[in-house]
Amino acid sequence: MIGTKRVRWVIPCLAAIFLVTEVILPTLVSAQEEVASYIRRYKDREASTGFYEQYEVKPRRMAPLVEVPGVTRGIFPYSPSAAKVRIRTRLADSHWGIKFYERRRCEECHIRETRDIHTTRANLTCRQCHGGEPIASLGHYYSPFNPIRKHAYVCAKCHQGANASYASYIVHSPNPALASTRQAFPVLFYVFWFMVILAGGTFVVFLPHTALWGARELFVKKEKAEGESKD
Amino acid sequence: MSQKTRIRRFTPVQRLFHLLLILSFLTQGSTGLARLYIASSWGKSLAWVFGGYDACRTIHIYVGIFLVCFFVAHVLYVLTKINWKKLSGPDSLLPRPKDIKDFFQHIGWFLGISKAPEFDRWGYWEKFDYWAVFWGVPLLGATGLLMAYPLTATKIMPGWGLNVALWIHRIEAILAMCHVFIIHFFIVHLRRHNFPMDRAMFEGSADLTATRHERPAWIARLQEAGELESKLVAEAPAGRRAIFYVFGYAAVVVGIFLLIGGLVNSPYITW
Ligand code: HEC
Ligand code: HEC
Ligand code: HEC
Repeated sequence: MIGTKRVRWVIPCLAAIFLVTEVILPTLVSAQEEVASYIRRYKDREASTGFYEQYEVKPRRMAPLVEVPGVTRGIFPYSPSAAKVRIRTRLADSHWGIKFYERRRCEECHIRETRDIHTTRANLTCRQCHGGEPIASLGHYYSPFNPIRKHAYVCAKCHQGANASYASYIVHSPNPALASTRQAFPVLFYVFWFMVILAGGTFVVFLPHTALWGARELFVKKEKAEGESKD
Repeated sequence: MSQKTRIRRFTPVQRLFHLLLILSFLTQGSTGLARLYIASSWGKSLAWVFGGYDACRTIHIYVGIFLVCFFVAHVLYVLTKINWKKLSGPDSLLPRPKDIKDFFQHIGWFLGISKAPEFDRWGYWEKFDYWAVFWGVPLLGATGLLMAYPLTATKIMPGWGLNVALWIHRIEAILAMCHVFIIHFFIVHLRRHNFPMDRAMFEGSADLTATRHERPAWIARLQEAGELESKLVAEAPAGRRAIFYVFGYAAVVVGIFLLIGGLVNSPYITW
């Protein structure tokens, strides 16, 4: 039999061990792996906040809350007294001053940028290319997306040997059918419509042609002996 | 009982070309569509057949390279076979003014306005099919190679060319598949003249009576030149015919499966 004195010691000891594990050691989980997609597991290469599928933006100290309703791009008045310059495409932090930015997901504000192969198929997260906070505007001199280093800083992370020409591939390829693409990417627009008209033209001619042909042959007498008159 | 009831239309080499074209076309169609539809369960199971999303790409690239070589082989073959003097004649696959006339007369016949045109060796629709493949394969091959080896490709063109190449490749592939799975299959299988299947491309020969009916100009020309007899062959034995039918219908089933699956699942395409 264990003495009552010893039993009295065991319980506080267990409690202390429990407390230490709870407070100091990481929580127990069944798997440490973060599974991103049914096609590929690319999130292991990501500069990650770890908060998947809830919000992608790392919580951070609040920036001054500056916003003008309805204005999302270009120059807008920063404050009544300050200079009126805020060109979003030149900022070191392109989201500087955008309200509630921290707790939202990229696709809530940038829907168009989610509709391309890298996101829909390869299932990359935005941050695998755009990196951690702050996300520099594309036009900022030190941005990784500056064409002088984009191929090396962004594309070559995954596409080994990517050169500057390769990096001119339009990752967020616009919908080629849209009229807006005519300005943004005219070659794509015209080639797309040329091909569509070509394909459409073929079917406009050959679908009715084939259907009529099939119908007409139902009324042909099956061929008789040689030399008999046609039809 | 080897009555010579059929007239030769294709040589063994030409039939082999067509057979390889069927196999590679269906492979390219399935692996390509599997990737385009990977967000749908139909696309996933299609990809599973080939070993998954990435394996589809590998297969697609190698079969594509095969097709490019195949095209080059075909061009070399054609160059050795061409009869340059008769290039504009009725035995040539080059379009002739008569094809345009035939086309409109054929439509007139559909509508009951005119007599059926007297086709020669190649109908205008057959020439169209041939030339559609003839420029479709290089176009798909060129854009496909650019995308398969993008690092090399972007040394000779800007990277945004890949965006353009992708769309050319897609639309041309969709055009080719719809054309083959709807129009080509209908013409060679379903229309009454050929139902249940035109075996000419497998067996190499077509029924003489039926051909005389559809292509009287050809038969008359051969008869005049006294060449008809030498072109007649006997029907293939029943066992071989059975193989033609089974293979032909297997190809049709695959094609229709891709066509219907593609249409039904089109909302799930991730472009
Ligand atoms: C609250 C909405 C919002 C969220 C969330 C958001 N953005 Fe933005 N983002 C903006 C606005 C507004 C701009 C500036 C307008 C512009 O240039 O399009 C901008 C600009 C950018 C730019 C620079 C564009 C340029 O022209 O230089 C990039 C890159 C960018 N965002 C990426 C991201 C990424 C990646 C995420 C997710 C981590 C994200 N954004 C989340 C609203 C948002
Ligand atoms: C494969 C890398 C990659 C991924 C993944 C990626 N981007 Fe981009 N993004 C780029 C590149 C490259 C540009 C710059 C295009 C240019 O230089 O014109 C860009 C530009 C942008 C812009 C500026 C406007 C535009 O369309 O050009 C925004 C906004 C943006 N990305 C948001 C996002 C969001 C949101 C996501 C996640 C859904 C995302 N990006 C995922 C590479 C990527
Ligand atoms: C985090 C990894 C990653 C980064 C960074 C990345 N890519 Fe990709 N990229 C991929 C993956 C994965 C695919 C394969 C997509 C597929 O086929 O499903 C891909 C595919 C492509 C393709 C082929 C698209 C097609 O039409 O078949 C091009 C072109 C491309 N990337 C260009 C770029 C460029 C340019 C950049 C730099 C701005 C870049 N990528 C950055 C992972 C990445």
